Amino acid sequence: MDETTLTLESLQAQLAAQQSTFEMHQAMNVEVFYWWCTAIMMMIHAGFLAYEMGASRSKNALAAGIKNILALAVIIPTFYLFGWWIYNAFPSGLIPSDASAALPWAASMGPDVSDMGTGIFWAAFALFGATTGSILSGAVIERIRVSAFLILTVFLGSAIWILAGAWGWHPDGWLLTDLGYHDVGASGVVHAVAGFFTLGVLINLGARKGKFINGVAQTIAPHSLPMTLIGLMMIIFGFFGFLGGCIIFNGGDTGWTTIYNTPTNLSAFAFNTLMGFAGGVIGCYIATRDPFWTMSGGLVGIISVAAGLDLYSPTLAFIIAVCMGFAAVWFAKLLEKRGIDDAVGAVAVHGFTGFVAVILVGVFAGGTPNMGENPEISFMGQSLSAVIMALVGFIPGYGLSLLLKKLNTLRVPESAEDLGIDEVELIAKPYPEASTPASTESEVPNKLANVEPQGV
Amino acid sequence: MGTSITTWDNVTAYFTFADSPIMLALFALGAAGIIVGLIASIMKHENEAFDKLK
Repeated sequence: MDETTLTLESLQAQLAAQQSTFEMHQAMNVEVFYWWCTAIMMMIHAGFLAYEMGASRSKNALAAGIKNILALAVIIPTFYLFGWWIYNAFPSGLIPSDASAALPWAASMGPDVSDMGTGIFWAAFALFGATTGSILSGAVIERIRVSAFLILTVFLGSAIWILAGAWGWHPDGWLLTDLGYHDVGASGVVHAVAGFFTLGVLINLGARKGKFINGVAQTIAPHSLPMTLIGLMMIIFGFFGFLGGCIIFNGGDTGWTTIYNTPTNLSAFAFNTLMGFAGGVIGCYIATRDPFWTMSGGLVGIISVAAGLDLYSPTLAFIIAVCMGFAAVWFAKLLEKRGIDDAVGAVAVHGFTGFVAVILVGVFAGGTPNMGENPEISFMGQSLSAVIMALVGFIPGYGLSLLLKKLNTLRVPESAEDLGIDEVELIAKPYPEASTPASTESEVPNKLANVEPQGV
Repeated sequence: MGTSITTWDNVTAYFTFADSPIMLALFALGAAGIIVGLIASIMKHENEAFDKLK
């Protein structure tokens, strides 16, 4: 070996070069990780597409599908235009702080050789927003106007949830700094917010024609239950991208952390995501013996433990998920008794489960410290935060849909509902060679329906 | 037209109009207009479709 390469200066130069190479590859690994999380999250939308089309009657199948596709298409650009700015500007409440770098005319909001983080984090958050907006989509099928839905979903997916995200899913969010809020897998900021926003919309939208006869809930059977089940499983697959995107891939020697800067790793998420999924399926199956609810149980299970994915023992996560499977079905029945027609159980699966999931972190992980000066996780902090999440979702959902209702732009006319939105609006048939007429009634008994007449 | 750079040395933001916030703001307004226009066009189409049922 040439002796001149062994001088201190040359060794320092080699070390610096290797360090630079290492740091570049580490930054590239971060990008690669979130790139694939985002790609896997697209499967959530393939799943929503399949399950909402399947859950509709055939006369509305394409309308349900195109509504879902357009939701994705409008949330992505609107999240670029103002969603990312909201996240960065509102951690302290309703008064914006300086977040000019997140505005759509900032140089940082585009290709930049020196910035390997902004674009990929924006993409992951945009897909979180699209998921949130799509939670509304299934509940309102077969009677909402596409234009009204798009207005509502833009508000939910690009403004409302990300405001909650700024408060409870940001290292400086006031729910964390004041209440010690812990919600690593977005049970509250995504699912509770979206679920309660949906509840507000459903109150104003009303039930599908034929859903309640003399106050008794009827089954409006999905036209393709198998498509619905496959769609739900695709959503479960996409959840691995979603939850992967919830963890922070740090540079340096820090390793994985939660969004609250507390240490964790993908192994923790893996244990409890899978145990939650299994528990939710079992709970909903025992509670209903119904295929749709059994598969929805997978979602219930994951959402029920998502807030504490990093903290729960796997067996506890499993038990929580089983219990929440029962509880979500109970809540869905309760809503139906109240005359709420949630076509896919979104309020129970996402809203109620997400709400309880946030509180359960306070029950089972209360006293766990947060980083720095932030208060520890507590039952009171989690409970208050859960209520805030529900209100952040419900109030704008109810208010905005009420405004659209007053303007007579929320719901399709009864004649269009009778004929089917596909034929009236899209001038298309999903199965042109099929001869089975659409029906508002089904011979399949409603396993969730109340048996006593109720005021509607 | 073109990107905002003339050399790859010490480059940071290199996309088209990265050095012109006014142009980027105009593009943002245009993008927002497209979204609003899309929803308005859907609303118009719905009204026409529903009117035919009367």
